[in-house]
Amino acid sequence: MATGEYILKVTDLTHRVDLGHDTLTILHDVNLTVMAGQSVAIVGRSGSGKTTLLGLLAGLDTPSDGQIELDGQVISQLGEDQRAALRAQRVGFVFQSFQLLPALTALENVMLPLELAGQKEAASQATELLQRVGLGDRLTHTPRQLSGGEQQRVAIARAFAARPKILFADEPTGNLDNNTGQTVSDLLMALNREQGTTLIMVTHDEHLAARCERQFSIEAGVLTEPASQPVDNPPPRTAQQEAL
Amino acid sequence: MNQASGRLSSVRRDWRERDVRVLIAALVVAVATVATIALFASHLQRTLVSSASAFLAADRQLESENGQPIPQAWRDKATERGLEVARMVEFSTMVYGNDNFQLVAVKAVSEGYPLRGEIEYQASADSPREMRSAGPGHGDVWLNPRLLRLLDVTIGDSIEVGNLELTVSGLLIREPDGGFSMSALAPKIMMNAADVAATGVLQVGSRVEYVNLFAGEEAALDDFYAEVKPDFSPSHEWKSVDDGEALSGSLQRARRFLLLGGSLAVLLASVAVAVAARQYAVGQRDTVALLKTLGVRGQRIGRLYLSRLMIWGVAGTLAGVVIALPAFWGLASLTARLLERPVDYSIDWFALTPALVTALVSMMAFAYPPLQRLRSVPAMRVLRSEPGESGTGIVRDGLIALIAIFGLIWLYAGELGLVLSLLGGLAALLAVLALLGWAMVLLLRRVVGGGNAWRLALVGLYRHRKASLSQIAVFSMTLMLAATLLLIRSSLLDDWQAQLPDDAPNHFLINIAPDAVDDVEQFLAKNDLAKEAIYPMVRGRLTELNNEPVKQAVSKDREVRALNRELNLTWMNSLPADNTIVSGEWFEPGQTEGVSIESQLADRMGVKVGDVLGFTIGSQKIEQPVTSIRTVQWDSMRPNFYLAFPEGGGLTGLPATWITSFYLGEDQKLLLNDFTREFPTVSVLEVDHIIDRIREIVVQVTQAIEAILIMILAAAVVVMAAVVSATLQDRQREGALLRTLGGRQSLLVRSTMLEFALLGFFAGLLGVVAAEVAVWALQYRMFQGEFQWHFRIVATLPLISAAVLSVFGYWQLQPVLKVSPMLLLRRLE
Ligand SMILES: Nc1ncnc2c1ncn2[C@@H]1O[C@H](COP(=O)(O)OP(=O)(O)O)[C@@H](O)[C@H]1O
Ligand SMILES: [Mg+2]
Repeated sequence: MATGEYILKVTDLTHRVDLGHDTLTILHDVNLTVMAGQSVAIVGRSGSGKTTLLGLLAGLDTPSDGQIELDGQVISQLGEDQRAALRAQRVGFVFQSFQLLPALTALENVMLPLELAGQKEAASQATELLQRVGLGDRLTHTPRQLSGGEQQRVAIARAFAARPKILFADEPTGNLDNNTGQTVSDLLMALNREQGTTLIMVTHDEHLAARCERQFSIEAGVLTEPASQPVDNPPPRTAQQEAL
Repeated sequence: MNQASGRLSSVRRDWRERDVRVLIAALVVAVATVATIALFASHLQRTLVSSASAFLAADRQLESENGQPIPQAWRDKATERGLEVARMVEFSTMVYGNDNFQLVAVKAVSEGYPLRGEIEYQASADSPREMRSAGPGHGDVWLNPRLLRLLDVTIGDSIEVGNLELTVSGLLIREPDGGFSMSALAPKIMMNAADVAATGVLQVGSRVEYVNLFAGEEAALDDFYAEVKPDFSPSHEWKSVDDGEALSGSLQRARRFLLLGGSLAVLLASVAVAVAARQYAVGQRDTVALLKTLGVRGQRIGRLYLSRLMIWGVAGTLAGVVIALPAFWGLASLTARLLERPVDYSIDWFALTPALVTALVSMMAFAYPPLQRLRSVPAMRVLRSEPGESGTGIVRDGLIALIAIFGLIWLYAGELGLVLSLLGGLAALLAVLALLGWAMVLLLRRVVGGGNAWRLALVGLYRHRKASLSQIAVFSMTLMLAATLLLIRSSLLDDWQAQLPDDAPNHFLINIAPDAVDDVEQFLAKNDLAKEAIYPMVRGRLTELNNEPVKQAVSKDREVRALNRELNLTWMNSLPADNTIVSGEWFEPGQTEGVSIESQLADRMGVKVGDVLGFTIGSQKIEQPVTSIRTVQWDSMRPNFYLAFPEGGGLTGLPATWITSFYLGEDQKLLLNDFTREFPTVSVLEVDHIIDRIREIVVQVTQAIEAILIMILAAAVVVMAAVVSATLQDRQREGALLRTLGGRQSLLVRSTMLEFALLGFFAGLLGVVAAEVAVWALQYRMFQGEFQWHFRIVATLPLISAAVLSVFGYWQLQPVLKVSPMLLLRRLE
């Protein structure tokens, strides 16, 4: 495991939801450490607990047990507003279903996090980013007038707008066809490199996962890291399969 | 069967949709408000008329002034029509008791009197007052309490009326039709009409008034009148409640206010239904596009939505009526407690018509057009929404709505002036709104957001500019309507207050001889009684118009009661404060020519400045040109005159007596005894009970107005809540996202509340200004009050509406704030 500054450290994270008659454990004893600037993929089947984990890591919810340390702060000890402030300054999001506000134009959607952070030059920065994702001529269009791929590109522009230290992506290509998905993931990886962002991405797309430095798999709420491998070496499982 | 159950399940499915619930709720509120107001207005009308009927002691009176009894045959006809009938005879005579003579006004009443109202009676001077529903029996007489002293008799003594000896069996405190007739000259006694012949007092040529009283169904009364009217002589006079001058003004205004309230309810309801339907239609576009891709044709889609609309319409209307009935009973019992008498809770089903028409029209004119346009939603929309499609049809919908509103109010209020005033106010409002929208887009575009709640709120306003503008439009319209009612109400109440202040004159002194004028004035001054101006009074008839007998000069179809009887003529130098000249000039100092006529009489006779009026006074005739036309405050309880001459003018040298009025408190009543002893020939007319009665009616109407105002305000709040909740989903989604992106709760709360407060402030400002415009027009046309800016309301309403709306905004955000953003994110996916 690489040494140096970690930006995210998860210790013994367990999450349960109360279903009234009994409780459902969604995450079991998750442990995870991510270094600044790394890109991490978490692969798992639908229903395995990926979104739940991502939400907890980003401080959208508080875990039942365990501790999450994000950029030096233990988020399970922060209040609702403090976590929000943390997100505003250091966290970006990309969602499977884009989550653009339908009433706003592409430009206004991208400006949103900038305005929340109180930036003066919101409009020009947002315009620049939209140009970067290839939508410079669609600034005034509303989400309804954009295709899925275009909407996700707007969402990526929004995610990077406030220059977050860490970016969470929940199946960013899950709602897109292969080609479009390819374009979107290219953009995501490229911007990630340019800004030196830490990327934590949940996906069931093995190809996309393979482009990250580290891969984890999650099954029924249990996270496992198949022996950490450099990207250029074939993962051992594949080798075994070939051998068979 | 199968189809029916399919329908039902689809209704149940519809109900799960918020917009459908809002639409149905809007309709329910509409029907409930309009129905309640209409039911209550009809009820109030009935109670007011019946309480006003007491002034006549009947629903109608037929009076004969020519000394001839009214034929028995007429009364028989009335009885045949199912009317109740009673008789009375009124005359003046001297009575004798215990060595004293006294001139009295005799009121002899038959069985059945009073048909409406009750007689206030006292068994003796120290017994409590009680209400009686019948007059004295055979051989009995009731006296005005002052007569006990004037005649020096007590209860149980006898007095002689002409040849007949009657037993004093009680005191007459007041009779319902005690009236306001200035010709009442002396203290009153009441006896049985059957005893009149035996007195022998009535000779041919005696001055006597025969009156018949009728009560019953309006239709029967009208039929009876139509039947006997051809046989009337000029001295026959048919009187109804509306003719009671002292009251008609108040009643008229109350009625108008109710109409106005009803019209506003209609307007509010239409706005609510239109907003909800539009919202629903917008939400349905995707569904329609999907149906089209599945192969459903446009026509079938149109039919589908029409049939749904009809189901909702019927359900909403029924629910509205079901709510209206208890609401009406509640209002009715409210006024019942006030009146301390049993209330007629019966329902005038006909009064429900406006509510049903409102439901039908608002469904067809406000809800259907946007739904009908769904037929033309392109199937392509399933894949991609077409830019710019949202604005279509607004103009057409608006036009249909405008015509429908116009028609509805007209139907409801039947007053073009009211319709035009309200629509004028609305038009002014929309014009200003368009301007404001333009300015808002221009100004707010420059604001850059930030972590500051103010800036975030402003940016929010700009971002939601479409929704913001339409919300301002609806809020300001709603507020305008509510404010209009509020303003009219307060000026109405002020008017009434001003008209009948606590020290309004409640006693008249009539028949003051010219040489007693000074002594009377001294008496009043000595006892600290503030008197109004003192006027001379000459009795005479208006007989000619431009040298032609008035009966011919005034066209037949116009019935002018004032021409059938003796009028009180006066002379005065200065115009009474509450009169206003509407045409011509008031008398110059030293002017002796001319006469000033009251404006309504002038209208009815078709008299203009310059026309020559001829009068017959006793055996004398005089002629004078009309030099001015003036309005008179009939309900002011001061001496009022149809016709006034200048001092030294046409009436010079004619026999006159003088009249004045003053305020006398309940505790000073004994002064009247001293006065009567000192001035035995002067008649004192006590009208304090009339004033009490008017006050009672005003209080009753005021309560009703307040109740209706509260209902309208409640309806307004429902409309605003409907409009706010229409954007609920969008805002919750936005709130959740903002929180995910790192917006603090407190910032979100503050900026949203601020945004709504700004909306509310602008809407309130616009609404109240538009309301002032409408009130100005209404006041001018319908309520005859003087228009004044209502600074307090203008200043406070925008603030109140800002506060209310920011609470709405807070309430909207609650679901976003309560749960973790995680859950919201899941729900959004
Ligand atoms: N609040 C909740 N209540 C009940 N079940 C939940 C809740 N949140 C998540 N789950 C369940 O937990 C499991 C994991 O959900 P999720 O994290 O969304 O999986 P993934 O994103 O991998 O598809 C699912 O079976 C889901 O139904
Ligand atoms: Mg998921």
